Amino acid sequence: MKFSKKTLAAVIAATMIVSAFSACSSAPASTTAAPAATTTAAAAETTAAGGETEAAATEAAPSSISDSDRIIAAAQAGKVGNWGLGNEYEIFALLTKYGQENKFLSQAFDMDGFDDNSITLASAMTYNELGLVQNSYEGGYGYGDTVGIIDMNNEGVAMLEDNLFTTKAFAEKNPNTVKAFISASMKGWEYACANPEEAAQIVFEAGSSVSSDHQAYMASEVKKLVETDTTGNAVKDYGKMDEAAMQQTLDLAKQYIKLDDSTAADKLQALTLDDIRSTSYWTDALAGSFGAPEKTDVSIQLKWLPQAQFMGYFVAKAKGFYDEVGLNVTIVSGGGDIGETTAVNNGTVDFGVTWVSNLISANAGGMDLLEIAQVYQRSGLVLVYKK
Amino acid sequence: MISVAAKVNKKRRNAVQSVVCPLIFGVALIAAWQTGLLHTLLNTDEYVLPYPTRIATIMSENSDKIMANVWASVEVAVLGLIFGSILGYLIAIFATVFPKYGSGGLTIVSAFNAIPIVALAPVIINWTKDVSSEAEVRSMVAKVIVVTVVSMASMSVNAYRGLTELPPFSDDLMKTYAAGRLTEFFKLRLPNSVPYIFTALRVSVPGSVISALVSEYFAEYITGVGRQIRENILIAQYSTAWAYIVTACIIGIVMYAVLMLIEAVALRKRR
Repeated sequence: MKFSKKTLAAVIAATMIVSAFSACSSAPASTTAAPAATTTAAAAETTAAGGETEAAATEAAPSSISDSDRIIAAAQAGKVGNWGLGNEYEIFALLTKYGQENKFLSQAFDMDGFDDNSITLASAMTYNELGLVQNSYEGGYGYGDTVGIIDMNNEGVAMLEDNLFTTKAFAEKNPNTVKAFISASMKGWEYACANPEEAAQIVFEAGSSVSSDHQAYMASEVKKLVETDTTGNAVKDYGKMDEAAMQQTLDLAKQYIKLDDSTAADKLQALTLDDIRSTSYWTDALAGSFGAPEKTDVSIQLKWLPQAQFMGYFVAKAKGFYDEVGLNVTIVSGGGDIGETTAVNNGTVDFGVTWVSNLISANAGGMDLLEIAQVYQRSGLVLVYKK
Repeated sequence: MISVAAKVNKKRRNAVQSVVCPLIFGVALIAAWQTGLLHTLLNTDEYVLPYPTRIATIMSENSDKIMANVWASVEVAVLGLIFGSILGYLIAIFATVFPKYGSGGLTIVSAFNAIPIVALAPVIINWTKDVSSEAEVRSMVAKVIVVTVVSMASMSVNAYRGLTELPPFSDDLMKTYAAGRLTEFFKLRLPNSVPYIFTALRVSVPGSVISALVSEYFAEYITGVGRQIRENILIAQYSTAWAYIVTACIIGIVMYAVLMLIEAVALRKRR
């Protein structure tokens, strides 16, 4: 036993030697690159600061740094984080706005990178990661008010996120099912937003992926995204597809979604709002003008694990809203590497929740998906920093 | 004369078996793929499994970007393979010289190999966070370590066999010469292990490519063929993902072919 422990240590040491070797071999390149990077960062900071922040600099109050300076400094240092995988377009739009290169660090699905300062401007959803950073309940980092945020809505680079979609073929074949599903789901969202604590509890009981404290926080934040638009005005009609916000999402998508496949890239540029969404199902659903559903057993795939982000659907199911319209709904958890767009497109599930930008790139790639309701009225993405 | 002719015939038959048959199979497969027969057989659509011509178009249109990703992946695979093989061989020597401690060590190294890369990669990425302030460097280090660990096991186990499983007569011969342990090691054990090194590499070369691609999934710095496959599948760009999948296959095949070539040269006197 002793011997094997010794050898284990030897093996680990040997691996360390290898890591040291590879670090050394790549070091020359990095040491030459590093000073250059810091000098450019410093130069950018001084030029960006200019004369107007001269006074602020003498005060030396850390909170007086402007958002634009923060963004530029973090971008120059290569410390802007995002998860990538189709979540990065708003960050690209923001970096472009401040004249920065469209690059980011791959951020893990926890906030450890932000915690240990390897990422200084970290992506966070208001209803999820931001809560983990600020709050001190289980899984939280407890930063409280010592962190600040840069909001995509305020920066004018908001892209709409969680929607409700199906395929064009399914919608054409089962219009009443689609309308009934929208109707009951929006009723679920309305109830959830009116009773966020109860909604959080329902989601938690339905097999939550996070703690009940975090679930309650999430419900209260999601409510804000569902009931407020990108300009800060209240939205009364749940699931409304706001023309201006949808158009901004599509325009930014065309600018920042880079597709290597030229056929798909051309198709992306040719897309109009009518290619990605239809408002008629939602209008009829809210007016209550629909007949008996053609298909009664339907399923919906979430974009991520069960959590209050999707509380409307869990509430509609738990409160019997789906039963009222004659639907038997199965809620399928997301979070695997088979995206919700693929699952809906190949008919594994009937409905899905995705971000509008993901639907756009899927349709550019050749899928035939159709948004039928827009649940989130504003972007939930923020960049969080330590003050 | 007859025997020579028979030999030539046999050679020809071997050539037919090892080259022509796979070639026909390959061409038939691509033909079935392009004509949509494969899609019918696999019950899939041209969206998830795009036609070869579409994949080829994307590959030719993005050759610069693809090559940049190829070098990023190959660098990791080759460095990890070299480090892992050297380490593995050193462990085998250690186990040969100190058999008492060595066999336990080999078991542990083999156990390392059983850890799935998907579990190993995030741990090592966390572990190497302080290696450098540059994300590109520390990601590279993490990926190379993953490949190193994976390549180490097959080399140590095979090299150990090469160093210890000696032909009995050679062992006896060495004894009759009253050769010292050092002489025995350099004149007998080391040369005896060479074919085993190639046996190990036949396993670890494809393994190094696969582990390099998978380790890219978790890396902070976004680059490499494996990462591109994942990114494109998640944004539903299957044609582009397939372009990178084909690229990954080519990397594996080319690296294996290079190994075969080196092996043919290195072992030509033994055949």
